[in-house]
Amino acid sequence: MKKGLIIALLSCTSYMYSQGNCLIYPEGSNERKACELAHQRENLKQGSRESQIMFDSILKINPNYAWAYMEKSVAYLKRGLITEGLRLLDKAVELEPRYNLTYRAYWHFQNRNYKLCIKDLERFYALPNAFIYEMTPGGDKDMRILLGMSYAKLGNYEKGIETIENCLKSYKREEDFGLTDYHTLGMLYVKNKQYKKALEIFDKQLKITEDYPDSYYYIGLAYKALNKPEKAKVNFQKAKDKFLDGYHIRNGYLCYKVYYLDVTNELEALTD
Amino acid sequence: MVSILCISCHTKKEAEVEKKPEYLADIGDTKFNAELDDANFIFCDSTKVLHKRAQIAYTGGTPAMEKELINNYKIQPAFESFTGYFFIRFAVNCKNETGRFRWEIVDEDFKEMKCPDALEKEIITKVKSLKKWNHPIYKGESHDGYTFLIVKIENGNIVRS
Repeated sequence: MKKGLIIALLSCTSYMYSQGNCLIYPEGSNERKACELAHQRENLKQGSRESQIMFDSILKINPNYAWAYMEKSVAYLKRGLITEGLRLLDKAVELEPRYNLTYRAYWHFQNRNYKLCIKDLERFYALPNAFIYEMTPGGDKDMRILLGMSYAKLGNYEKGIETIENCLKSYKREEDFGLTDYHTLGMLYVKNKQYKKALEIFDKQLKITEDYPDSYYYIGLAYKALNKPEKAKVNFQKAKDKFLDGYHIRNGYLCYKVYYLDVTNELEALTD
Repeated sequence: MVSILCISCHTKKEAEVEKKPEYLADIGDTKFNAELDDANFIFCDSTKVLHKRAQIAYTGGTPAMEKELINNYKIQPAFESFTGYFFIRFAVNCKNETGRFRWEIVDEDFKEMKCPDALEKEIITKVKSLKKWNHPIYKGESHDGYTFLIVKIENGNIVRS
Protein backbone atom coordinates (compact mmCIF):
# COMPACT_ATOMS: atom_id res chain seq x y z
CA MET A 1 0.00 0.00 0.00
CA LYS A 2 2.71 2.42 0.99
CA LYS A 3 5.16 0.95 -1.45
CA GLY A 4 4.57 3.54 -4.13
CA LEU A 5 5.11 6.37 -1.74
CA ILE A 6 8.19 4.82 -0.22
CA ILE A 7 9.88 4.08 -3.53
CA ALA A 8 9.01 7.42 -5.07
CA LEU A 9 9.99 9.51 -2.12
CA LEU A 10 13.13 7.93 -0.76
CA SER A 11 14.86 11.21 -1.38
CA CYS A 12 12.39 13.01 0.90
CA THR A 13 12.54 10.66 3.86
CA SER A 14 14.95 9.20 6.38
CA TYR A 15 13.04 5.90 6.17
CA MET A 16 16.14 4.07 4.97
CA TYR A 17 18.39 5.58 7.64
CA SER A 18 21.25 3.16 8.21
CA GLN A 19 24.91 3.11 8.98
CA GLY A 20 25.33 4.58 5.51
CA ASN A 21 27.78 4.30 2.70
CA CYS A 22 31.22 4.03 4.28
CA LEU A 23 32.93 5.12 1.07
CA ILE A 24 31.83 8.71 1.59
CA TYR A 25 34.35 8.95 4.43
CA PRO A 26 38.08 9.43 3.70
CA GLU A 27 40.04 6.19 3.55
CA GLY A 28 41.71 5.44 6.88
CA SER A 29 39.55 7.93 8.77
CA ASN A 30 37.86 6.98 12.04
CA GLU A 31 34.49 7.66 10.43
CA ARG A 32 35.24 5.07 7.72
CA LYS A 33 36.55 2.52 10.25
CA ALA A 34 33.53 2.92 12.55
CA CYS A 35 31.17 2.66 9.58
CA GLU A 36 32.82 -0.52 8.32
CA LEU A 37 32.69 -2.04 11.79
CA ALA A 38 28.98 -1.17 11.95
CA HIS A 39 28.36 -3.44 8.96
CA GLN A 40 29.86 -6.35 10.91
CA ARG A 41 27.28 -6.04 13.70
CA GLU A 42 24.38 -6.79 11.39
CA ASN A 43 24.31 -10.48 12.32
CA LEU A 44 24.46 -9.92 16.07
CA LYS A 45 21.25 -10.33 18.05
CA GLN A 46 19.75 -7.02 19.10
CA GLY A 47 20.24 -6.47 22.84
CA SER A 48 22.84 -9.21 23.19
CA ARG A 49 26.08 -8.64 25.07
CA GLU A 50 28.02 -9.06 21.83
CA SER A 51 25.91 -6.48 20.05
CA GLN A 52 26.26 -3.87 22.80
CA ILE A 53 30.02 -4.43 23.05
CA MET A 54 30.24 -3.98 19.29
CA PHE A 55 28.42 -0.63 19.54
CA ASP A 56 30.85 0.45 22.26
CA SER A 57 33.77 -0.43 19.97
CA ILE A 58 32.18 1.50 17.11
CA LEU A 59 31.58 4.55 19.30
CA LYS A 60 35.08 4.41 20.70
CA ILE A 61 36.41 4.80 17.16
CA ASN A 62 33.90 7.50 16.24
CA PRO A 63 32.26 9.11 19.30
CA ASN A 64 30.16 11.35 17.02
CA TYR A 65 28.44 8.55 15.12
CA ALA A 66 24.77 9.45 15.60
CA TRP A 67 23.48 6.31 13.91
CA ALA A 68 25.36 4.07 16.38
CA TYR A 69 23.86 5.85 19.41
CA MET A 70 20.41 5.54 17.90
CA GLU A 71 20.85 1.88 17.03
CA LYS A 72 22.27 1.06 20.46
CA SER A 73 19.27 2.72 22.11
CA VAL A 74 16.74 0.46 20.38
CA ALA A 75 17.21 -2.62 22.55
CA TYR A 76 16.92 -0.55 25.75
CA LEU A 77 13.74 1.16 24.62
CA LYS A 78 12.18 -2.12 23.51
CA ARG A 79 12.83 -3.55 26.98
CA GLY A 80 11.46 -0.61 28.95
CA LEU A 81 14.88 0.61 30.07
CA ILE A 82 13.76 4.16 29.54
CA THR A 83 16.52 6.30 31.01
CA GLU A 84 19.44 4.52 29.36
CA GLY A 85 17.54 4.20 26.08
CA LEU A 86 16.75 7.91 26.00
CA ARG A 87 20.25 8.91 27.12
CA LEU A 88 21.59 7.23 23.97
CA LEU A 89 18.84 8.46 21.70
CA ASP A 90 19.16 12.03 23.01
CA LYS A 91 22.81 11.92 21.98
CA ALA A 92 21.81 10.80 18.48
CA VAL A 93 19.30 13.66 18.26
CA GLU A 94 21.89 16.14 19.46
CA LEU A 95 24.31 15.02 16.73
CA GLU A 96 21.82 14.61 13.86
CA PRO A 97 18.36 15.99 14.65
CA ARG A 98 17.14 15.63 11.09
CA TYR A 99 17.59 11.85 11.17
CA ASN A 100 16.68 11.09 14.77
CA LEU A 101 13.97 13.45 16.01
CA THR A 102 11.17 11.44 14.49
CA TYR A 103 12.46 8.19 15.91
CA ARG A 104 12.54 9.70 19.38
CA ALA A 105 9.04 11.10 18.80
CA TYR A 106 7.87 7.61 17.86
CA TRP A 107 9.14 6.24 21.17
CA HIS A 108 7.56 9.10 23.12
CA PHE A 109 4.27 8.23 21.45
CA GLN A 110 4.72 4.54 22.25
CA ASN A 111 5.46 5.43 25.85
CA ARG A 112 2.34 7.62 26.05
CA ASN A 113 4.19 10.90 26.44
CA TYR A 114 2.25 12.89 23.84
CA LYS A 115 3.64 16.22 25.00
CA LEU A 116 7.21 15.16 24.20
CA CYS A 117 6.11 13.52 20.95
CA ILE A 118 4.57 16.82 19.82
CA LYS A 119 7.64 18.76 20.93
CA ASP A 120 9.96 16.58 18.83
CA LEU A 121 7.72 16.50 15.76
CA GLU A 122 7.03 20.24 15.77
CA ARG A 123 10.79 20.79 16.01
CA PHE A 124 11.39 18.32 13.18
CA TYR A 125 8.84 19.80 10.76
CA ALA A 126 10.21 23.29 11.47
CA LEU A 127 13.67 22.25 10.26
CA PRO A 128 14.46 23.94 6.94
CA ASN A 129 15.48 20.58 5.45
CA ALA A 130 12.89 18.34 7.13
CA PHE A 131 11.85 15.29 5.15
CA ILE A 132 8.28 15.71 3.93
CA TYR A 133 7.15 12.11 3.98
CA GLU A 134 8.65 10.83 7.21
CA MET A 135 7.40 7.41 8.19
CA THR A 136 7.16 5.44 11.43
CA PRO A 137 9.97 2.88 11.89
CA GLY A 138 7.73 0.11 10.49
CA GLY A 139 7.10 2.25 7.42
CA ASP A 140 3.33 2.00 7.63
CA LYS A 141 2.31 5.41 8.89
CA ASP A 142 3.24 9.02 8.19
CA MET A 143 4.66 10.73 11.28
CA ARG A 144 2.19 13.58 10.74
CA ILE A 145 -0.53 11.09 11.65
CA LEU A 146 1.25 10.37 14.92
CA LEU A 147 1.44 14.12 15.47
CA GLY A 148 -2.29 14.45 14.85
CA MET A 149 -3.05 11.60 17.25
CA SER A 150 -0.84 13.21 19.89
CA TYR A 151 -2.76 16.50 19.67
CA ALA A 152 -5.96 14.50 20.03
CA LYS A 153 -4.66 12.58 23.04
CA LEU A 154 -4.01 15.91 24.74
CA GLY A 155 -7.61 16.92 24.03
CA ASN A 156 -7.09 19.11 20.96
CA TYR A 157 -9.17 17.15 18.45
CA GLU A 158 -9.46 20.06 15.99
CA LYS A 159 -5.72 20.41 15.66
CA GLY A 160 -5.32 16.65 15.42
CA ILE A 161 -7.90 16.46 12.63
CA GLU A 162 -6.40 19.41 10.77
CA THR A 163 -2.92 17.86 10.96
CA ILE A 164 -4.09 14.53 9.58
CA GLU A 165 -6.30 16.14 6.89
CA ASN A 166 -3.31 18.16 5.68
CA CYS A 167 -1.14 15.07 5.70
CA LEU A 168 -3.61 13.07 3.61
CA LYS A 169 -4.07 16.00 1.20
CA SER A 170 -0.33 15.91 0.51
CA TYR A 171 -0.57 12.37 -0.91
CA LYS A 172 -0.58 12.38 -4.67
CA ARG A 173 -2.06 8.97 -5.39
CA GLU A 174 -4.55 6.62 -3.79
CA GLU A 175 -1.86 3.96 -3.32
CA ASP A 176 0.06 6.36 -1.11
CA PHE A 177 -2.51 5.90 1.66
CA GLY A 178 -1.62 3.57 4.49
CA LEU A 179 -3.85 0.83 5.83
CA THR A 180 -5.06 2.87 8.81
CA ASP A 181 -4.79 6.49 7.60
CA TYR A 182 -8.48 7.01 6.85
CA HIS A 183 -9.40 4.97 9.90
CA THR A 184 -7.40 7.28 12.16
CA LEU A 185 -9.02 10.38 10.71
CA GLY A 186 -12.49 8.84 11.00
CA MET A 187 -11.79 7.90 14.60
CA LEU A 188 -10.88 11.51 15.43
CA TYR A 189 -14.03 12.76 13.69
CA VAL A 190 -16.03 10.47 15.97
CA LYS A 191 -14.13 11.75 19.02
CA ASN A 192 -14.87 15.31 17.86
CA LYS A 193 -18.56 14.45 17.33
CA GLN A 194 -18.38 15.04 13.54
CA TYR A 195 -20.31 11.87 12.86
CA LYS A 196 -21.37 12.46 9.24
CA LYS A 197 -17.83 13.32 8.22
CA ALA A 198 -16.68 10.22 10.08
CA LEU A 199 -19.02 8.01 8.06
CA GLU A 200 -17.81 9.56 4.79
CA ILE A 201 -14.19 8.88 5.66
CA PHE A 202 -14.90 5.34 6.87
CA ASP A 203 -16.42 4.64 3.44
CA LYS A 204 -12.97 5.36 2.04
CA GLN A 205 -11.34 3.27 4.78
CA LEU A 206 -13.46 0.25 3.86
CA LYS A 207 -12.26 0.55 0.28
CA ILE A 208 -8.69 0.21 1.62
CA THR A 209 -9.57 -2.78 3.81
CA GLU A 210 -12.71 -4.35 5.22
CA ASP A 211 -10.78 -6.38 7.78
CA TYR A 212 -10.44 -4.13 10.82
CA PRO A 213 -12.97 -4.56 13.62
CA ASP A 214 -11.87 -1.15 14.93
CA SER A 215 -13.36 0.62 11.88
CA TYR A 216 -16.76 -1.06 12.27
CA TYR A 217 -16.74 -0.18 15.96
CA TYR A 218 -16.28 3.54 15.23
CA ILE A 219 -18.84 3.40 12.42
CA GLY A 220 -21.19 1.87 14.97
CA LEU A 221 -20.49 4.69 17.42
CA ALA A 222 -21.22 7.28 14.71
CA TYR A 223 -24.56 5.65 13.84
CA LYS A 224 -25.42 5.37 17.50
CA ALA A 225 -24.76 9.08 18.01
CA LEU A 226 -26.88 9.85 14.90
CA ASN A 227 -29.72 7.91 16.54
CA LYS A 228 -29.62 5.01 14.08
CA PRO A 229 -29.41 2.07 16.49
CA GLU A 230 -30.10 -0.63 13.89
CA LYS A 231 -27.20 0.48 11.70
CA ALA A 232 -25.06 0.83 14.81
CA LYS A 233 -25.91 -2.71 15.86
CA VAL A 234 -25.07 -4.13 12.41
CA ASN A 235 -21.64 -2.51 12.56
CA PHE A 236 -20.90 -3.53 16.15
CA GLN A 237 -21.83 -7.07 15.14
CA LYS A 238 -19.44 -6.86 12.15
CA ALA A 239 -16.73 -5.66 14.55
CA LYS A 240 -17.40 -8.60 16.83
CA ASP A 241 -17.30 -11.05 13.91
CA LYS A 242 -14.00 -9.62 12.71
CA PHE A 243 -12.52 -10.00 16.19
CA LEU A 244 -13.76 -13.60 16.34
CA ASP A 245 -12.20 -14.25 12.93
CA GLY A 246 -8.87 -13.10 14.36
CA TYR A 247 -8.58 -9.76 12.61
CA HIS A 248 -7.09 -6.74 14.35
CA ILE A 249 -4.87 -3.79 13.60
CA ARG A 250 -1.44 -5.16 14.22
CA ASN A 251 0.69 -2.14 14.97
CA GLY A 252 0.74 -1.18 18.60
CA TYR A 253 0.74 2.56 18.19
CA LEU A 254 -2.83 3.29 17.36
CA CYS A 255 -4.46 5.48 19.96
CA TYR A 256 -8.04 4.83 21.01
CA LYS A 257 -7.52 1.17 20.30
CA VAL A 258 -10.63 -0.98 20.31
CA TYR A 259 -10.93 -4.17 22.33
CA TYR A 260 -13.36 -7.04 22.00
CA LEU A 261 -14.92 -6.06 25.31
CA ASP A 262 -15.71 -2.55 23.99
CA VAL A 263 -17.69 -4.10 21.16
CA THR A 264 -19.63 -6.61 23.24
CA ASN A 265 -20.46 -3.86 25.76
CA GLU A 266 -21.98 -1.76 22.96
CA LEU A 267 -23.94 -4.72 21.64
CA GLU A 268 -25.28 -5.52 25.07
CA ALA A 269 -26.27 -1.90 25.64
CA LEU A 270 -28.23 -1.86 22.37
CA THR A 271 -29.92 -5.15 23.17
CA ASP A 272 -31.12 -3.96 26.62
CA MET B 1 49.62 23.46 40.87
CA VAL B 2 47.58 24.09 37.75
CA SER B 3 49.37 21.36 35.85
CA ILE B 4 48.85 18.90 38.72
CA LEU B 5 45.13 19.67 38.63
CA CYS B 6 45.05 19.17 34.87
CA ILE B 7 46.81 15.84 35.13
CA SER B 8 44.35 14.82 37.80
CA CYS B 9 41.36 15.80 35.62
CA HIS B 10 42.84 14.12 32.57
CA THR B 11 43.45 10.90 34.46
CA LYS B 12 39.90 10.88 35.75
CA LYS B 13 38.45 11.42 32.29
CA GLU B 14 40.53 8.62 30.84
CA ALA B 15 39.42 6.35 33.64
CA GLU B 16 35.78 7.20 32.86
CA VAL B 17 36.23 6.53 29.16
CA GLU B 18 37.99 3.23 29.80
CA LYS B 19 35.36 2.01 32.25
CA LYS B 20 33.61 -0.81 30.47
CA PRO B 21 29.98 -1.59 31.23
CA GLU B 22 29.24 -5.13 32.27
CA TYR B 23 26.53 -6.45 30.01
CA LEU B 24 24.42 -9.49 30.79
CA ALA B 25 23.75 -12.01 28.01
CA ASP B 26 20.82 -9.77 27.07
CA ILE B 27 20.59 -6.23 28.41
CA GLY B 28 17.00 -6.90 29.49
CA ASP B 29 17.92 -9.87 31.70
CA THR B 30 17.35 -9.39 35.42
CA LYS B 31 19.66 -11.25 37.76
CA PHE B 32 18.18 -12.80 40.88
CA ASN B 33 18.69 -10.58 43.93
CA ALA B 34 17.84 -12.23 47.22
CA GLU B 35 17.00 -8.86 48.80
CA LEU B 36 14.46 -7.98 46.12
CA ASP B 37 13.21 -11.18 44.58
CA ASP B 38 10.98 -14.04 45.59
CA ALA B 39 13.11 -17.19 45.60
CA ASN B 40 10.03 -19.22 44.66
CA PHE B 41 9.84 -17.55 41.28
CA ILE B 42 11.85 -19.62 38.85
CA PHE B 43 12.09 -19.76 35.09
CA CYS B 44 10.98 -22.98 33.44
CA ASP B 45 13.95 -22.74 31.10
CA SER B 46 16.35 -19.95 31.95
CA THR B 47 18.35 -20.57 28.77
CA LYS B 48 15.64 -19.23 26.47
CA VAL B 49 13.74 -16.45 28.19
CA LEU B 50 12.16 -14.22 25.54
CA HIS B 51 12.50 -10.46 25.31
CA LYS B 52 9.39 -9.97 23.22
CA ARG B 53 6.94 -7.75 25.03
CA ALA B 54 4.17 -8.22 22.46
CA GLN B 55 4.06 -11.96 23.23
CA ILE B 56 2.88 -11.41 26.81
CA ALA B 57 -0.75 -10.41 27.27
CA TYR B 58 -3.13 -9.84 30.15
CA THR B 59 -6.41 -11.75 30.18
CA GLY B 60 -9.05 -9.28 28.94
CA GLY B 61 -6.36 -7.07 27.43
CA THR B 62 -4.97 -3.75 28.60
CA PRO B 63 -8.39 -2.35 29.62
CA ALA B 64 -8.98 -5.26 32.01
CA MET B 65 -5.49 -4.89 33.48
CA GLU B 66 -5.87 -1.13 33.92
CA LYS B 67 -9.33 -1.49 35.43
CA GLU B 68 -8.01 -3.96 37.99
CA LEU B 69 -5.01 -1.78 38.78
CA ILE B 70 -7.10 1.38 39.19
CA ASN B 71 -9.72 -0.40 41.31
CA ASN B 72 -7.06 -1.73 43.67
CA TYR B 73 -5.04 1.50 43.84
CA LYS B 74 -5.56 3.56 46.98
CA ILE B 75 -4.67 7.19 46.42
CA GLN B 76 -3.47 9.28 49.38
CA PRO B 77 -3.37 13.11 49.59
CA ALA B 78 0.44 13.01 49.52
CA PHE B 79 0.35 11.38 46.07
CA GLU B 80 -1.42 14.30 44.42
CA SER B 81 1.80 16.25 43.93
CA PHE B 82 3.17 13.51 41.68
CA THR B 83 2.91 13.52 37.92
CA GLY B 84 5.14 11.14 36.00
CA TYR B 85 5.60 7.58 34.87
CA PHE B 86 6.60 4.24 36.35
CA PHE B 87 8.37 1.92 33.89
CA ILE B 88 8.07 -1.48 35.56
CA ARG B 89 9.92 -4.44 34.07
CA PHE B 90 9.22 -7.99 35.13
CA ALA B 91 9.24 -11.58 34.01
CA VAL B 92 6.39 -14.02 33.40
CA ASN B 93 7.35 -17.67 33.57
CA CYS B 94 5.71 -20.51 31.68
CA LYS B 95 3.38 -21.09 34.66
CA ASN B 96 2.10 -17.49 34.35
CA GLU B 97 3.81 -16.47 37.58
CA THR B 98 5.52 -13.09 37.80
CA GLY B 99 8.82 -12.07 39.34
CA ARG B 100 12.10 -10.13 39.02
CA PHE B 101 10.36 -6.76 39.23
CA ARG B 102 12.55 -3.70 38.59
CA TRP B 103 11.39 -0.16 37.91
CA GLU B 104 12.34 3.36 36.94
CA ILE B 105 10.40 6.46 37.94
CA VAL B 106 10.55 9.41 35.53
CA ASP B 107 8.94 12.83 35.32
CA GLU B 108 6.97 14.41 32.47
CA ASP B 109 10.20 14.97 30.56
CA PHE B 110 11.23 11.36 31.09
CA LYS B 111 13.98 12.36 33.49
CA GLU B 112 14.63 10.25 36.56
CA MET B 113 12.89 11.49 39.66
CA LYS B 114 11.94 10.54 43.19
CA CYS B 115 8.37 10.10 44.30
CA PRO B 116 6.83 9.71 47.74
CA ASP B 117 7.90 6.34 49.22
CA ALA B 118 4.31 5.47 50.00
CA LEU B 119 3.31 6.03 46.36
CA GLU B 120 6.16 3.89 45.09
CA LYS B 121 5.18 1.11 47.48
CA GLU B 122 1.50 1.38 46.54
CA ILE B 123 2.13 1.22 42.77
CA ILE B 124 4.62 -1.62 42.93
CA THR B 125 2.52 -3.66 45.36
CA LYS B 126 -0.55 -3.30 43.17
CA VAL B 127 1.32 -4.11 39.97
CA LYS B 128 2.78 -7.20 41.64
CA SER B 129 -0.74 -8.25 42.62
CA LEU B 130 -1.85 -8.48 38.96
CA LYS B 131 -2.13 -12.20 38.37
CA LYS B 132 -3.73 -12.71 34.97
CA TRP B 133 -0.62 -12.54 32.82
CA ASN B 134 -0.22 -15.06 30.04
CA HIS B 135 3.23 -16.36 29.22
CA PRO B 136 4.56 -16.19 25.66
CA ILE B 137 3.70 -18.86 23.14
CA TYR B 138 6.31 -18.41 20.49
CA LYS B 139 6.59 -20.54 17.38
CA GLY B 140 4.18 -22.99 18.97
CA GLU B 141 6.17 -23.42 22.20
CA SER B 142 5.65 -22.13 25.72
CA HIS B 143 8.34 -19.76 26.92
CA ASP B 144 9.27 -17.63 29.88
CA GLY B 145 9.52 -13.96 28.97
CA TYR B 146 10.22 -10.44 30.07
CA THR B 147 7.81 -7.58 29.63
CA PHE B 148 7.19 -4.13 31.02
CA LEU B 149 4.32 -1.95 32.06
CA ILE B 150 4.05 1.82 31.92
CA VAL B 151 1.96 3.33 34.70
CA LYS B 152 1.22 6.96 33.84
CA ILE B 153 0.23 9.12 36.78
CA GLU B 154 -1.23 12.63 36.76
CA ASN B 155 -1.66 14.40 40.08
CA GLY B 156 -1.55 11.08 41.85
CA ASN B 157 -4.18 9.41 39.63
CA ILE B 158 -3.43 6.50 37.30
CA VAL B 159 -4.22 7.48 33.71
CA ARG B 160 -5.77 4.91 31.39
CA SER B 161 -4.15 4.24 28.00
